[in-house]
Amino acid sequence: MIAIYVCAIIAVYAGLRVVVEKNTMRKLPFLNVVSFAISGTIALLLPHPLTILAAVAYFVGSTLESNAIASTWAGGIRRDD
Amino acid sequence: MIDVVMIASVALLIIGMVATIVNRDPFDKLISLSVLIAGVFPFIIDRGYLDVATATALIAPLSTIFTLMVCRRERA
Amino acid sequence: MLDEPTRILIAAAICWMNFMAVDLIFKLPESGGVVGATAIAQQVEAGGGHLNGGTMMGNIVSSPDASAGTLLASCGVFCAGLFGGLFAAVLVYIGNRVCYDPGYAGTTGCITATFIVYGATQIGFAASDFIAGMVIAILTIQGISYVHSSRLIARLWKIRCRLLRGCQ
Repeated sequence: MIAIYVCAIIAVYAGLRVVVEKNTMRKLPFLNVVSFAISGTIALLLPHPLTILAAVAYFVGSTLESNAIASTWAGGIRRDD
Repeated sequence: MIDVVMIASVALLIIGMVATIVNRDPFDKLISLSVLIAGVFPFIIDRGYLDVATATALIAPLSTIFTLMVCRRERA
Repeated sequence: MLDEPTRILIAAAICWMNFMAVDLIFKLPESGGVVGATAIAQQVEAGGGHLNGGTMMGNIVSSPDASAGTLLASCGVFCAGLFGGLFAAVLVYIGNRVCYDPGYAGTTGCITATFIVYGATQIGFAASDFIAGMVIAILTIQGISYVHSSRLIARLWKIRCRLLRGCQ
C-alpha cells in the first residue's frame, strides 16, 4: 500500500518541478520522472496481464513525445543560427 | 479509488492545466500539456478500461508530433 | 521479514545499481543517441552540470534505456510473474526501435531486472517494492538536482573508463 503512495507523491512533486523550472530543455528530465511514476501507478492500480501493455504503451509514448519535443527544439535553434 | 492517488491525479491535472494556460512559449505549453495527460491515466485505469488507456497512450504523442510540425514551420 | 519501508529502500538501492551498471557498460554517457539528447546535455552543461552526465540524462529522457527496462520488468513480474517480465522485455525492445535506438541497453536491463526481481520475490520481497524503489531511484538521478547528479554520473563514468577500456 505504501508503494502506490510513494508513486503518487513523487508524480506530484515532479509535476511541480516541471512547472517551476524555467529552461525548456531542463524541464524534460522532470517530465520523465512523471512518466515513470504514472507507469508505476498504472501497474499498481490494476494487476492484470494486459496492464503491462498499457504501462509500456504509456511509457514509450511519453518518451517518444519528449524525444520529438527535444529534437524539434534543437533543430529550430540550429536553423536560427 | 485510493484517496491519495485520486488527490494526486487531480493535482497533476490542475498543475498541468494552469501551466498550459500561463506559459507563452509553444514548447513549454506542450510539456505542460503532457503533465495534464499524465493526470488522466489513473482515472481510466481505475475503471478497468485497459484498451482505452492503451489507445490514448498511443494517440496523445501522435497529436503532439503533429502540433510540433506547425511549431517547426513557424520557427523556420 | 522486514517491514515495507525498509524493503522499498533496499529495492531502490538494488534497482539503482542495476540500471546504472547496465547503462555505464553500454556507454550511454559517451555520446547522444539523437539530436535531442545532445541538446539536453548542452543545456545541463550550460546550467553548471557536467557534459557526460548530461548526455546520459538526455539519453534516459529520449529513449527507453535500462532504467525503463527495470521499471517495466518490475511491473511485468508484479502483474504476471516471470513470463510477464520477459513479455515486458519484448515490448521494451519494440519501444526502443520506435525511438530510433538500437535497443541493447533497454532489453539487457529488462532481462537482468526480471531475474533479479523474480529472485527477490522468492526470498520475501514483493514486486511492488521494486516498482516504488525504481521510481525513487530515477528521482535521485533526474529529479533532485541536475548539477549534482550529472557530476556524480561523470565521476562513475571515469571509474568505468579506468576499469573497462574502450571509451575515448
